[in-house]
Amino acid sequence: MSRVSVKIVGASGQGINSIGEILAKALKRSGYFVFGYREYPSLIKGGHASYQLDIASHKITSSKKIVDAVVSLDHHGLSIHLDEINDGGYLIHDMSEWDFGEEEKKKIEAKNIKVILLPTDEIIKELNAPYVVQNVLFTGLLWSAFNQDVSKLKEVVKERFASKPKLIDLNMNCIDKGYEFKSEEEIEIKLPDANKDCSDAMLITGNQAIGLGAVHAGVRMFASYPMTPASSILTYLAEIQNKTGMVIKQAEDEITASQMASASYFMGTRAMTGTSGGGFDLMTETLSMVGIIESPMVFVLAQRPGPATGMPTWTAQGDLLLAVHSGHGEFPRCVMSVSDAEDGFKLTAEAHNIAERFQIPVILLTDKHTAESLFTSEKFDQKSYEIDRGQLVDERDLSEMKAEDRFMITDDGVSPRWVPGQAAPGYNATSYENLPDGTITEDSVPAKEMFDKRMRKMKALKDSLPEPELYGANREPRSADRNEELDILIIGWGSTKNVLVDVLRDLSRQSNKLSSTERQSTSGEVASRLGSSRGSSLEESKIGYLHYSHLWPLKTEKLLELSSKAKKVVIVEGNNQSQLGMLIKQETGLSIEDKILKYDGRPFFYEEILERILNYKF
Amino acid sequence: MTQDNYKSMAKYSSPNPCTWCDGCGDYGIWTAVKRACAELELDPSEVLMCFDIGCHGNMSDKVGGCYRFHGLHGRVLPFAAGAKIANPKVNTIAFAGDGATFSEGMNHLVHSVRSNYPIVCLLHNNENYGLTTGQASAVTRQDTPMNSSPNGIPEATLSPMDLVFSLSPTFVARGTSCDIKQLTEIIKEGIQHDGFAYIDVLQSCPTYNKFMTAEFLREHCYAVGSDYDASDFENARRTAIDTSEKIATGVLYHAKDPRPSFVGRLKSRDGKKSSLVEEVEKGDVGGFMQEMV
Repeated sequence: MSRVSVKIVGASGQGINSIGEILAKALKRSGYFVFGYREYPSLIKGGHASYQLDIASHKITSSKKIVDAVVSLDHHGLSIHLDEINDGGYLIHDMSEWDFGEEEKKKIEAKNIKVILLPTDEIIKELNAPYVVQNVLFTGLLWSAFNQDVSKLKEVVKERFASKPKLIDLNMNCIDKGYEFKSEEEIEIKLPDANKDCSDAMLITGNQAIGLGAVHAGVRMFASYPMTPASSILTYLAEIQNKTGMVIKQAEDEITASQMASASYFMGTRAMTGTSGGGFDLMTETLSMVGIIESPMVFVLAQRPGPATGMPTWTAQGDLLLAVHSGHGEFPRCVMSVSDAEDGFKLTAEAHNIAERFQIPVILLTDKHTAESLFTSEKFDQKSYEIDRGQLVDERDLSEMKAEDRFMITDDGVSPRWVPGQAAPGYNATSYENLPDGTITEDSVPAKEMFDKRMRKMKALKDSLPEPELYGANREPRSADRNEELDILIIGWGSTKNVLVDVLRDLSRQSNKLSSTERQSTSGEVASRLGSSRGSSLEESKIGYLHYSHLWPLKTEKLLELSSKAKKVVIVEGNNQSQLGMLIKQETGLSIEDKILKYDGRPFFYEEILERILNYKF
Repeated sequence: MTQDNYKSMAKYSSPNPCTWCDGCGDYGIWTAVKRACAELELDPSEVLMCFDIGCHGNMSDKVGGCYRFHGLHGRVLPFAAGAKIANPKVNTIAFAGDGATFSEGMNHLVHSVRSNYPIVCLLHNNENYGLTTGQASAVTRQDTPMNSSPNGIPEATLSPMDLVFSLSPTFVARGTSCDIKQLTEIIKEGIQHDGFAYIDVLQSCPTYNKFMTAEFLREHCYAVGSDYDASDFENARRTAIDTSEKIATGVLYHAKDPRPSFVGRLKSRDGKKSSLVEEVEKGDVGGFMQEMV
């Protein structure tokens, strides 16, 4: 099998995340790329949660809806997830007294699901261990089902318990018990051949990557108020603050967080805030203020389903138009969106350069699916980034500055900037309309001049932004160009990229004439579908995915070229109204009728996208 | 005041004409602030004056030389705090009115006192919203007919001193807009305090506050004497809160060994000599990435 999916389910607080994280690390060190996806309710104990690992020998960034094994730590999981198990898959549990209902028995039989009972109660009694080791037993069992070297797993668990050495022996025993467990039915979850390329790769969440991007960009102050799914940026930066020396401020509300961070930026350091939709609503007056005082600022807006409290721990892409239109009045801004860990690092750092170069607010979107999913990612490139502080005046030139230079009218709208504390004339940075030195004005001519000056930044900014990136099927991703005559042009943004790239990779591996060994690494599902009658046209068809990471101002040249030549144009978004589609229509008049939209809190699963693409006819 | 100091006070002047009503208390506060900065011989480039929105905020372009920020209604405290954290060498003064501070900005005041940010909070207290034409604020006296509350306010009147003293402050003072000399000394002491310096300035508003006139303030306010012990918290609290007959002015509470300010309590900054504004450089995340392998 080219990719394997295992879903660990149970009550929140039962330690299902640690099974997922430990297995992910041990698998990665054994030569596998993994993608970890969490589903959990908005509460601390109880409720039903899951941690899914998708495993492959090549880079993988999506989850399947139908998995090869479900491991259930509670009885709810036994019925909830039956429909999500593959034909011939496993249902592993420890409910010794459990009787399946008639309907469930039929399903199990029809799909030939192998039900495995791991008698954790007995083993725990035998070891005289506390009940909390239940999850470690399952970890050991899964590791043997993967047919992997037990020492690799033990190494990871030892690292995890490094601060609690007394617990190490017990955990080692539990791993052995789980690993050595023999059920009547043999358990084998066959993994593809290992690939040593990933041994030096990281396992990192999108939010950790944003945190590292901030450190890399020289951010020295992060002010925030907890709100899922942005909170883990705050907690990660707080966790490493004694090493970075960054000031971490958990503020009394999002208004404060955004004001404090904006003030720190105003003073000449780099600062950032992070929140989700509801908190961002509170920050929008600050956003508008930053727009007129022409100070740089970066807001991370981590999306979850709204309106209002919505579904706090689930994913969405419903705040794109909020980001573009938020804040009263008109002012220049940049909106970007992260899609994976690498983007989290790169775009966060880039956002600060844009903010300083144009002295504008930048809104960096992410979503729960990117923020909290676990990516196997190459170590980030630390060489290419250069801090760009824009028009920040060199110390030597400060003496030549006059107060009225600070908001001087310029062709591109960007004026020289110096900051409080520097030996130069003071100016007034005011939220009122003002003259170039910050003197408040209500006169018609200068008011319009200043407005025009600020808005001219949008043109300069747009000119500087990259066109969206085209990922091609039948090509190595990222090498397709704008002159491509595509059969299907798919457009998207944010975490949607991850599933699209996975599907396109598998389609292109399959449709190229591959050697038998390469073919082996291709998704079985794609192979079987392409072998069917419908697949013949797809074999020659060219599919491109056009990914927008810079969303406002919107670059449309490449989109228009590609869409004019494509047989079919499809947009994929995690929202109800196709918000990027609305922006594209607003900017170009192009109306994209073919939409794949999802707004139930779940990300796009691999099969959903594959199915839709395979069903397109020409 | 020496001739030199007059000169340096001029460093804080602006060519823009004032726009306050005749007799407005803002004139007195405006003068006292410039004088305090001059007498402390602060270089204007090391002074940041942050203004809220209200009549007082229109001072932002009526002072010059130093750096000024003029933000959003109710939000001046978090901005001033964020500025100070980024560059503690800059003397940061937040000007705010009673309207915003005790309503929209209440959250920020509470947490600013609690956080002990090393900034001065100069509260222009004229007991009403002047700039929006005389509505009641949270500190407007009962039974006073105001624009939008012609029957007087149904809510209880808030006592700023009672509130601030309940939050373990490290510096609390009260001045008036009609005693510029005393107010100058208070502001100077506040600027030198390493912590949150709350200065409540009772100011006349000849247009909308017919009760708290300059005459009223002169008649009812008294300066605490040289024998007053400003380090006695309980006495300071009683003295500040009790305004039934006479109103005490001066530095009413100045903690003897105040707890460190917010900036001083940041463990992540232990041993750091530089400020955040001097530290913007490309950060090496190699070690953090290795932890993820």
